[in-house]
Formats: sequence, C-alpha cells, structure tokens
Amino acid sequence: MQSFASLTISDLWIERAERDLCKGLSFSVQSGDVVRILGENGAGKSSLLKVIVGALSPEEGRIAYSGEDVTLDRSILQQDALYIGHSVGVKQRLSVAENIRWYCPDVCTNVLHEALKSLELIDYMDTPVKKLSAGQTRRVALARLWLSQKTLWLLDEPFASLDVKGVELLEERIQQHALAGGMVILTSHQNLLSLASRDVMLLP
Amino acid sequence: MTYSSFLKAEFLVLWRRKQDVFNALLFFIIVVVLFPIGVNSSPEFLAPAAAGIIWCATVLAVLMALESTFKEDHRDGSLEQLVVSGLSLPLLIVLKIIAQWLVVMLPLLITMPLLAEMLYLPSSGFWALIGTLLVGSPSLFFIGVIGGALTVSIKQGAMLVMLLILPFYLPVIIFSTLAVKAAQAGLPYSGFLAMLLAMSLLSLVISPFMTAIAVKASVNA
Amino acid sequence: MNWAWFHKLGSPKWFYSWSKAWALPVFCFGCLCLVIGLVWGLAFAPADYQQGNSFRIIYIHVPVAMLAQSCYLAMGIAGVVFLVWQMKMSPIFIKAMAPVGAIMALIALVSGAIWGKPTWGTWWVWDARLTSVLVLFLLYMGIIALQNTIDDVLLANKAAAVLSVVGLINLPIIKYSVVLLETLHQGPTFTLTKKPEMPAEMWLPLLFSVIGLYCFVAGLVLWRMQSEILLREHRSSWVKQEVTENGL
Ligand SMILES: Nc1ncnc2c1ncn2[C@@H]1O[C@H](COP(=O)(O)OP(=O)(O)O)[C@@H](O)[C@H]1O
Ligand SMILES: [Mg+2]
Repeated sequence: MQSFASLTISDLWIERAERDLCKGLSFSVQSGDVVRILGENGAGKSSLLKVIVGALSPEEGRIAYSGEDVTLDRSILQQDALYIGHSVGVKQRLSVAENIRWYCPDVCTNVLHEALKSLELIDYMDTPVKKLSAGQTRRVALARLWLSQKTLWLLDEPFASLDVKGVELLEERIQQHALAGGMVILTSHQNLLSLASRDVMLLP
Repeated sequence: MTYSSFLKAEFLVLWRRKQDVFNALLFFIIVVVLFPIGVNSSPEFLAPAAAGIIWCATVLAVLMALESTFKEDHRDGSLEQLVVSGLSLPLLIVLKIIAQWLVVMLPLLITMPLLAEMLYLPSSGFWALIGTLLVGSPSLFFIGVIGGALTVSIKQGAMLVMLLILPFYLPVIIFSTLAVKAAQAGLPYSGFLAMLLAMSLLSLVISPFMTAIAVKASVNA
Repeated sequence: MNWAWFHKLGSPKWFYSWSKAWALPVFCFGCLCLVIGLVWGLAFAPADYQQGNSFRIIYIHVPVAMLAQSCYLAMGIAGVVFLVWQMKMSPIFIKAMAPVGAIMALIALVSGAIWGKPTWGTWWVWDARLTSVLVLFLLYMGIIALQNTIDDVLLANKAAAVLSVVGLINLPIIKYSVVLLETLHQGPTFTLTKKPEMPAEMWLPLLFSVIGLYCFVAGLVLWRMQSEILLREHRSSWVKQEVTENGL
C-alpha cells in the first residue's frame, strides 16, 4: 500500500443510455478518506465507480491519481485499486479458496485461513461458490479487502445482502483501512455517520 | 491477480466444465458421421472429401465451444475484474485462447486416426491433415473469439457467432483442404501450411486487440 | 497539414448541414449518369462478337460489383477511424452503408446468375468472382444482423467497427483463397470482366454507369446518415431547432 495517495476527479461528464450523468462533477479523495456517493436509483453511482476504475469511458473530464494524469491510461490506478461491483466477480465454478487464490495469488495459507475464519467462510473453503448463498458469495468477494494490499477501494453497495454481523465486520475493516492511510469510495444507503468522512451527492 | 493465477483459474474452470468440452467433441464426431450416412458412404466419395468433412466439423465444433468463452465470466462479473485488473487485457485474452485451444483441440486430434480410417483417408493425406489442423486451428480460435466477445451480452448468441465468423474461416478451410488434396496426389503441400501459419500469426497479432475492444464494450452492455 | 476538415467531419452538426447541401445534387447527377450509361449500354452499344447480347449485363453487374466492394472498403476504413480516433460519424456511416452494400452485393449475385445461364448453361458456377461476392454479401448480412441484435448503442458501434475492420483485413485473403481454389480446379474459361480491348462504344457507357452508380449511392448514403444523425442527436438543441424550422 502506498504511504500517501490521492485521487482527483474534475469536470466529469458521463453519458449512458442517452442520459447525462454526474455532469460537471469534481471532487478529490486523499489518504484516510472514506467517501460515500449518494444519489437516487439511476443517478449514476455505479457508473461513476466504473469510470474511476476504467471499466467505462467518460465523455469528458480528467482523472488524476497521486499527481499523475490517468484519464487516458488507467493502468497505474488499476494496479492500486480494488473494485467490487454489483456482480462481485467471483467465479461460480471455483471453490472459495480457489477464487481467493485467483485474485490474491501471493497470500499465504495462514493468513487466508484467518481471514476466512473471521468471515465465517472457513467451513466452505472447498465448496464451489455456486452452492453458496448471496450473502456468502459477497463475503467471498469481500475477503479481498483482508487479503490484498490495494490502496484505493471502490465498493459498489458493499453492504447489500450482508447480515448484521457482516455489516459490522465490513465497517470495522473500512475504518482500519482508512486509518492505515487507504482511500475508500463507496455507494451505500447504509447510515455510515461514524464511518464516512464525506458525502458526494449525485443530482439526477 | 497475476498472469499465472489467471491461467491457473482458466484451466481449473475448463476442468470443471469438462462435460462441455466432451460435448463439443461428440458434436464434432456426429457432424463427421452425418456425411457418410447422409451423402455417400463409398470410398470413392469419402477419400477425397475426408479433409473437407473433418475441417467443416472442426470449424463448427470450435465455434460452438468459443461462443461460451466469455459468457460465464460476464454473468458473474469476473470479466469486469479482468478489464480493471491493471494487467494487459490482450495478453489475458491470448492466455485464455491458449488454454481453450489445448482443451478443445487435443481431444479432436486424438480422435483423428479413427475418423480418418472411417472416412478412408489414405495415410499420405492423414499427416497433411494433422499438419493443417495443428498449424491452422489457432487462427480459428483467434478469429472466433472476436465473435464470442461481441456477443457475450446477447442471450442467444451461438447462431449469430456462426453467421459473423464462418465467412472468415473460408480461407483456412480452403488452404487446408487444398493441402490435403495435394498430399494425396503426391504433390508438395508445405506452401499451404505456410499460408495457414501466416494466417494464424496474423490473427494472433490482430485478434487480441479487437477482442479486448469488444470485451470492454461488452462489460457495460 | 491542416486537420480541421477531419475534426469537422467528426461533428454531426457540421456534417448534417454539409450533407444537406450535397446529397441532392450528387444523387441527381448520379441518376443522370446512370440513366445515360444504362440506356446507351443496354440499347445502343454494339453486341459482343463472342457472347452476343448477353454480355450487356456487364453494364449492371460490373458497377454493382465494384460498389459492393468499395462500400465494404469504405466501411472498413470508417471502422479503423472509429477504433483509433473515436470519431462519432464513423458508426453512423457504417450503419447507413451496410444495407446499401448488401443490396449491391445481392444485385451483383443476381445479375451474375442471369449472365451465367446463357453463358455457362447454369445459373450458378463456383467462379472466383461470384463466390467472393457471395462471401461479401454474407459479411454485410453479418454486420446488419449484429447491429439489429444489439440494443446497446455503444456496444453496437464498437461491434460494427470491429467487424468491418476484421472483414477489411480478411477480404483480400478470402479473395486470394477463392481464386486459388478456382485455378486449381480449372474453372470456367469465360469471366465476366477482364475483357481485352473493348472498343470505346462499349466501355464509355460502362464508365458512365460506374460513375453514376457511385454518385447515386453516395447521395443515398448521405440521406440515410442524415436521418440517423437526427435520431442519435435528438436531444441536442440544434436538432430541435432544425426540426421545428424545417420539419422532418
Ligand atoms: N447496462 C446498462 N446499459 C445501458 N444503460 C445503463 C446500464 N446500466 C445503467 N444504465 C443507465 O445509467 C444510469 C445510471 O445507472 P447506475 O450508474 O447503475 O445508477 P445507480 O448505481 O446510481 O443506481 C441509469 O439511469 C441507466 O439509464
Ligand atoms: Mg448502482
């Protein structure tokens, strides 16, 4: 993880399905920030995260990561970013452990076991993901937060389908990450007063 | 994610999907069997037609297998993770195709002696056929995967992939059958193999970039 | 070098007003040339000493076959332009061009078959030229099918561009392989083109109909592009103004 990093977005304009989203949006995020993106359904929260991580191209706007302009080539940012979208990107045919090894190949077995224990997935380690519930599948994706060393977290509705304990666990982890100098941008309807240092409101 | 962990996961998924691979093989055999039964089963017809029959069946089986290359990855969001992984998407696509080629083509090649015997292909033509399959089939995969990437977000994509990609396979089929015919007539056929190799290399250079463009556009559709 | 025209070409608004001025004159000029060429060629040009009157179909077949190829070439170039420079007009051009090219290829096939009957005795021969036009027709149909199936505009744009570029690279290879197939199989001795030393009374009408058809198609495609631009840009103020002022 980088000791100090920042993300600056200026004059963004996303066009999707003939609608203008996030028109003129500018904001910046520094190490230690937890930013919550707010907006109604269809306001463009998910699209904004996709644009930041480079899965979607904006119509206009500039994105800078740690002082470097990454508008055209997002690879510096991508190497340092962890993105979990609505479909969490967990392979259905692989087991929990195989999925984690796919995403974080360097993690050692002890650490992996610890993380799976705290996420209550240890009993399912060798179960194919397609036999897990939606909440458990999300936990498999969230295990990346414990096991990879990325600075910038982009989490799209990370609390969806988690139980109370899962929510607590995740909130705690996000807080830890921010204290350690990471950056978190998330979209959520969860009340995160204790957690989010800032809100960005997307107007429809 | 690293290139090696990606490749490992690809092989694991293909191993779990072995029934699909087996289905492609069965499909291939059935298409081959259709010709002697449906058209003519005499050696006079089959021996010269064998290479063409086997190549047509191969092309269809490969396209059937390629149509689903990205489908599951698209559904569970892991395709999006590849796009944002910071790794080179064209290179990931090349690795994926290599895995697919090994898993789909090797079983086909293994059945070849049997099918060649059943179609009365003389041994002079047999080795030419194996040569064309080895040298030419990579281009089938590299060209076909473009169609697979363009149609990931479409529900019934198989027919469309056939429609889009089959015309591009014509040169491969023509060069291959001409090579086998030349071999059967005792003529040199290395020129045709060289052309197949050139096609495979050309598609290796161009297709990963085209496929990457298609994948990027598809993850958001 | 001045690149201003290139950037202007990328702007739908500029292109719309430019094409509005040019579509009709180009189209009318094309129709005129086409009529001259066809009437001259079909009714007045001398008959061929070998094939008699049946050769006259070249005044239709040759122009449409040329157009079918040129349209694909243009689509392929537009595809490259889109993939490299993201120019907004390129996918509009491809979308407008594909059905026109497909119809040209279809007419080339039908006229080839009509010519084939008296010449070869069958409607269809696997002659290299006809086969490659058939493949061309299939490529056009593939692009049209893909565009009609995909409802996401961004993906449809990219898909059509990718497919035209891949087709552009592949067409010469396809042509070469088909010619190779024919020469190794001793194809028919007659071919529809490559007439040695046509007298001027024979090739002049052909020249007229070729130029005429090019202009005819250019006008047609400009019109199709205009309506596509209006559809795609219907939210912008200049389109609203245009429609309220001039109607549709
Ligand atoms: N897959 C898609 N294809 C086309 N348009 C989409 C797609 N997903 C979302 N959109 C459009 O983008 C807008 C913003 O969507 P999204 O970013 O998912 O909103 P949010 O996450 O804030 O609910 C939606 O109003 C919709 O019109
Ligand atoms: Mg959303």
